[in-house]
Parts: sequence; C-alpha cells; structure tokens
Amino acid sequence: MDEFLIKLQKIKSGIYSRMRLLFILDIVAIFSIFYSALIILNMEYLINKTTFYIPFPVSFIPPALALLLGAGIAFLLHRKDSKINLHFLIEKKYSDLKEKLRTAFDNREESNIIVDALKGDVSGALDKVSSAQILTAGKLFSKLLITVIFLAGTITISQNPETYKIPEDTLDDISKIVTGGNGNETSDTAGNPEDFGKAGGIETKPRIATIEGKNIDLTIFPGYEQGVELKDVSQTQNQFIKSAAFPVDILGSNVSDGGYSILMKKTETEKQLINKFAVERSKI
Amino acid sequence: MSNETYSSSNRIFKELFDEIGKVIVGQREAVEQILIAIMCNSHALVESNPGLAKTLTISTVSKALDLKFSRIQCTPDLMPSDITGTYIIEDVGGKKQFRFEPGPVFSNIVLADEINRASPKTQSAMLEAMQEKQVTVGTKTYPLDKPFFVLATQNPIEMEGTYPLPEAQLDRFLLKILMDYPSIQEENEIVNRYTKNITPAVNKVISKNEVLDLQKLTRDVPIAEDIKSRAVNIVIATRAKSEHIEYGASPRASIGIILAAKARALMSGRNYVSAEDIDAMAYPVLRHRVILTFESERKGMTTDQVVADILKSVK
Repeated sequence: MDEFLIKLQKIKSGIYSRMRLLFILDIVAIFSIFYSALIILNMEYLINKTTFYIPFPVSFIPPALALLLGAGIAFLLHRKDSKINLHFLIEKKYSDLKEKLRTAFDNREESNIIVDALKGDVSGALDKVSSAQILTAGKLFSKLLITVIFLAGTITISQNPETYKIPEDTLDDISKIVTGGNGNETSDTAGNPEDFGKAGGIETKPRIATIEGKNIDLTIFPGYEQGVELKDVSQTQNQFIKSAAFPVDILGSNVSDGGYSILMKKTETEKQLINKFAVERSKI
Repeated sequence: MSNETYSSSNRIFKELFDEIGKVIVGQREAVEQILIAIMCNSHALVESNPGLAKTLTISTVSKALDLKFSRIQCTPDLMPSDITGTYIIEDVGGKKQFRFEPGPVFSNIVLADEINRASPKTQSAMLEAMQEKQVTVGTKTYPLDKPFFVLATQNPIEMEGTYPLPEAQLDRFLLKILMDYPSIQEENEIVNRYTKNITPAVNKVISKNEVLDLQKLTRDVPIAEDIKSRAVNIVIATRAKSEHIEYGASPRASIGIILAAKARALMSGRNYVSAEDIDAMAYPVLRHRVILTFESERKGMTTDQVVADILKSVK
C-alpha cells in the first residue's frame, strides 16, 4: 500500500471517530429536549388517562420515547455522514492538496513516473493534515457545551417535576377543548346552575374563555332564555290579575257584551243584590 | 530517458517558450496550443486572417523542436501525389526502374497552408496520412516519421473557390486554434524586430527523442474521476437538444479534451489534471466540432459562446 494511502486512512479514521462523537452528543441533546418537554406536558398523567392497556410502568414511557426520538432525529441529521467525500473536505481545508488528493486516490492502482511523483507530493502534504483541523475542537466543544446545558436543564426538571409540569386540571380543560364537546360540556364550562345568585357563581374560569378564543356572554345563564324574569314561586300562585277595561266602543255594536247592558238597566237595589251575590259566590 | 525528460520538463517548456518568443511576438496561447497538439501526437487547424505569422510560428516551433519541417501551399490543382509522393523512373546501371520519391508529407511537421483551397481528393489524401501516419502509394505502404504533426490553416475570409473541410474530416484535428491580431505594444515590437538587418534566430531546445518522450509522458499524467466526468459531460452537453447547436461533438472530442488537458497540465509543471485544464481546452477542442444552427449563426453567435454556456451549466 502506498504511503499516502496509509496516512489518508489514519486521517479518515480520526475524522470518523469525531463524527461518531458528534452523533452521540446529538442523541443526548435531542433526548434532553424531548424528555424535558414530556415532563412539562405531564405525559405520565395523559397516558394514565387513556384506556389502553400498558404492560409496564407508565413512568418508563417518557424517557423511552425521548430516547427513541433523540436517536431517530440524530440518525436523520447524520444520515449523510457516511456519504461525505472526505477528500473534498481535506482539499477544502488544505488548498495545496486541491485536486491532487483525489487524483492520487483515483489513480492509486497506477504507477508511472508522474503518478508516483504525485503520490509522493500528496504523502508529504498529508503530514500537515490533522483530523482535528477538519472537524475543529471548537465545533466539538460548542456542541458538547450545548449538550451539557440541555442535560442540566433536563436533570433540574426531572428532579422537581411538580414545579414545572402543567397542572392536571388544566390538562383536563385543554383536552376537552381540543377534543371538542356537546351542549352539556359547554354548560359545565360556562358555570354551574347551583352557583346562581352567589357572588361569582355565574362566572367561569377566565382561561377557558381565553382558550376558546371567543367572546362568551357569561351573564346569560345556561338553560334560561334571555329576558325571562325569575320570581319566587309563592308570589306567582293565586295572583289576582286585573283584566283590561271593557272597551267602551263595543257598546252599540253588534258584538255581544256578555250581558253588561242588561245589568246596567237594573235598579240600584238590584245591582247591590247582584254584587253581593257575586262576592259571596267568589268565596266558594 | 523518460525520467530525465520529466524531471527537466519544466525547464524544457520554459526554454521553448523563450526561444519561440525570440521570433514570435505575443500569440502565447496559439503557441501553447500548437505545442499541446504536438505533445498529444495529433494535429491542429489554425484559422486566422492573413499576415499573422502562421507559417513563421510553425517553422519556428519546428526549429526549436529540431524537427523536419515542410510546407504545402494548397491550391485547387494540387494533386494527392504532390503531397504523398510518387514513383519516378530513374536510370540505374543502364536499367530503368521506378523509385519512390517521398512528398512533403514525409516530414515531422507539415504546414498545409489554406487546406480548404485544395480539392476534396487531395484533402482526403492529406487527412488519411494524418490519421494512419502512413502513406500508401500503389501497392506499397510507407510509414511516416515520428513525430508527425500537421498544422493546417484556413482563411476565414475569401471563401470563394474553396472546398470547406467536411465535419468528419474536421473531427480529425485535435484543436482549432484562433490567432488574433496583436496588441499595440506587440505590433510595435514586431515592427522593431523585423525592420532591422538582424533576423531573429532560433536555437534547438530539445531533440526529436525528447519530443517523443514528452508525448509518452503526456498520456501518463493522472486525472481524477470527477474531472474526467466533467470533460465527458461537457461533450455530452453539446449533443443535448439546444436552440443553438445543430450537431454536437463526437466521443473523439472527449478523448481530445482529456488528452489536451493532460498536455496542458504537464506544460504547466503539474503532475495532475485540473478542472481548469479541462475548461481551457474545451474551447479549441469543441470549436470546430460543434455546428451551430442557422438561426444562431445569423445572430452572430460563435461556438466559443456556446461552449462558455455549456461550461457554466455542466457540474
């Protein structure tokens, strides 16, 4: 094997090991982000609410899901790593190897005075090449720093999940809004009829109205039509309702007056007698 | 021998350009392309207006390379035997016998001046010698001396009474070299040099064997796969349907570009072919192989403009 090929192989393996390290750091960083998100979203509670049968402890699901997502996304981000032309990367960084390296590599099987001279030139130039220069330590360090920050955040959140996670009743409300609802659910969210008359009883939680994104007229109590005046039950019973005054213009018309004109022709004594009879009659 | 030639190739080319520069003012690109064609063991077609030192350039090159030079002035009445040679009767010991008298084609460097003025029959004889590197007269075949290089010239004006070379025959020329008018400074220098009693002289720089070594070394110059692909893609692009191109270049053009690029790399002192070499050699290699559409010619487009567009589009 040519000397330049041995040197090139060493440089390539150095670059690949750095790429693997970057891949692992990406997995950890993405895992941290997703695990924190799942804790904050109270994933355990949401899973518990589902009717699915889960044959293992629910607490295993958030970290397992975060790890799966982390590995999957990191794999997608690094899927082209193996296809990266390292010769181009090296040539880009070291301009004196531009076009020489790939020419020497493509003609590695050939041997003549010019190709041998080229291989010698490339071998000499490769002495200056370091994998640390291709994927710099700065890049590696910054990625490491980001990963550590994310990981620290995740540890903090996982130590005190109650502080960070969304309250369960809020999740319930959100899930109702998200899943939609019928009239009954709407009345529940709008208020409780039992609270009618109490201070603040008719008002519901303001965040529900915010989540709905609509203006809700909270003064209208569900189940009653607008304009209905409520009164005590005892006041409504046996109430005397005064009838309207008999229309004057009905007299002299062909319309029946119910015996009014006949009554008016009676004497005063007869009228008093009839009146007395009517009062006594109404008491029965 | 090759090792010595290779190690001294940088010096050889520098001295060659210096020596030719003693006689030829400017025309650096044309001289470079003529040398490239020689190193590729191929031929070149030069197109220029009259009076631009085509004959002087090629005779100077032949002197610097220590090669036998001959010139054929092509005319409509030029016969094939005028260039290939013919049998003559001579008296040997009282007996008459035929003897082959070689024509001007039996040289290392042949200048076929105004080749488009020769009849198609004579052109064919010339082009056969270029391709086969041998001449057949009667029943006997005579190999031509190595190296063998033909520089044919064409005049872009005065097209009356000419027999333009068919595309198939143009394809046999590796390069089509354009010689342009010199700059003001160069023309002043030409006037100064050639209006005195002293005629510039050219010294031999390399031997015939060294020229043959350089021809071998040219083919040894390595090329990367992606750069080779670029050359092939450029030629293939000329065959794609285009509003400017009537006919594209043949695979001989792909070979030509890569070979010429190798020679250019060696001449530049590099032991590998660069993409820059491919781009630079695409113009002279494709110039006479790409046929433009009537509409493009009517608009005054040149093949160089079309090649430039192709070079931009090909990855």
